[in-house]
Amino acid sequence: MNGAVAATAVAGVEVPSWGGVAASVALVAVAVAVTARAQLGLGRELVIAAARAAAQLVAVGAVLLVVFGHGGLAGAFGWVALMILVAGQVAGRRGRGLPSARVAATAGVAAGAAATLGALLAFGVIPSQPRVVIPVGGMIVSGAMQASGLALLRLRDAAETARPAIEARLSLGLPARQAFAPHTRGALRTALLPSIDNTKVVGLISLPGAMTGLILAGVDPLTAIRYQIVVMYMLLAAAALASLTSARVAERALFDDAHRLRPVAVGIPAKN
Amino acid sequence: MRLLDLRQGAPLFVLDRVGVVHGGVRLLDGVSATIPAGRLTAVVGPSGAGKSTLLRLLNRLTEPTTGRLLLDGRPLPEWDVLALRRRVGLVAQQPVLLGERVLDELRVGRPDLTAEQASSLLAVAGLPERFGERRTAVLSGGEAQRVCLARQLACEPEVLALDEPTAALDPASAAAIERALGQLLASGHTVVMVSHDPAQVRRLAGHVLALRAGRLVEEGPPAALGHLDVEVRT
Repeated sequence: MNGAVAATAVAGVEVPSWGGVAASVALVAVAVAVTARAQLGLGRELVIAAARAAAQLVAVGAVLLVVFGHGGLAGAFGWVALMILVAGQVAGRRGRGLPSARVAATAGVAAGAAATLGALLAFGVIPSQPRVVIPVGGMIVSGAMQASGLALLRLRDAAETARPAIEARLSLGLPARQAFAPHTRGALRTALLPSIDNTKVVGLISLPGAMTGLILAGVDPLTAIRYQIVVMYMLLAAAALASLTSARVAERALFDDAHRLRPVAVGIPAKN
Repeated sequence: MRLLDLRQGAPLFVLDRVGVVHGGVRLLDGVSATIPAGRLTAVVGPSGAGKSTLLRLLNRLTEPTTGRLLLDGRPLPEWDVLALRRRVGLVAQQPVLLGERVLDELRVGRPDLTAEQASSLLAVAGLPERFGERRTAVLSGGEAQRVCLARQLACEPEVLALDEPTAALDPASAAAIERALGQLLASGHTVVMVSHDPAQVRRLAGHVLALRAGRLVEEGPPAALGHLDVEVRT
């Protein structure tokens, strides 16, 4: 039994065998038992989540295998583009009720990802290989998605609750962007705080993914941190660019040509 | 004779069969009326008659669904909308304060306003000279309403559209606002004001528009309106 679950060496890196993966299902059973004992009613959801994670990761692994083997750099960028589209839909749901929320979210994620990934590749900070572009692109798109979603969520709330203040500024002859500026600033601050906080505490209360992955792969920690520093900086840039672009696009859609605040669909909760 | 005197009483705004539908609800229905220059036009009528909507039309915060509005004979959309909003200042019924101190408040629409100019505006609104240093968070409703009036005056509007400016105020604050309106009328401003107070309408208004259920039911000088008390109070 021990031999079936033992880690195997793949390209010089010790990784769990399929037997080990199967054995780890016991940990899901532990989680189900704990929730059942505490009568949380989450057992079914836990099992579905665990099954979904396995199915999704197997599918992604298979597709990545094809992309790495045959897709080349074009395939990698196609994959990143697909991630941007999906992230745009997810972040757009946070701003549900805002006019063109999904367009604003997709534009923001695309701008953040394109500029950040483009800069890293253009300056040769990361090699232009599919096995680098896809995971780094994924991290960037994920960070951009969170920032865009938060910015749109706050903008939606402002457009819904701060209409009297916005119209008071418009009545003073201020153009739409200026009348909305305090709310845009608030939304951008909210969107950027998680990235800033994560950057502040990196290494102190969390060992982030890229660095952990490299250490697991046998890279020495002082080398691994170089990657992580680049990752943290690129996430800051992606979040800033994505939230700013989303906010600007949403802001344009929120006002008409006569600098009037359009109606916001009231009472639609932002989807989780 | 000053240009001001020549224009007084001439139609400044003309509403031509104006209708507004919002969210499937008809707020105004075929309203044709005039708002004369240099006078106070009182807009009266029961709640839901469309009074606030009419005020919002004047600075294009609301657009007519049907019909059109003319300012100085030109359709409203032909004017630059930002210039129009500085020319036609709207003060909402509920005072909305935007700055931390009163002086910041007055500078929202006029960043270059000096402390001396701010003091003069505050004086017009019946507030003491050193009021500019007060924090807006501690103002009473009456003070906040007067600060909002002064904030709008800082943009030097020609027309003031006021939505029940004295409705929730104590008698002293209401009297201060009325004195300010008297000064503004004397200096040639046009005022359009929603009011539910017949005595106030008689004291201040030179022209009255009475609305009911989105329709204009009477128009003219207060003395000529047969049912002014009924129209204003209902």
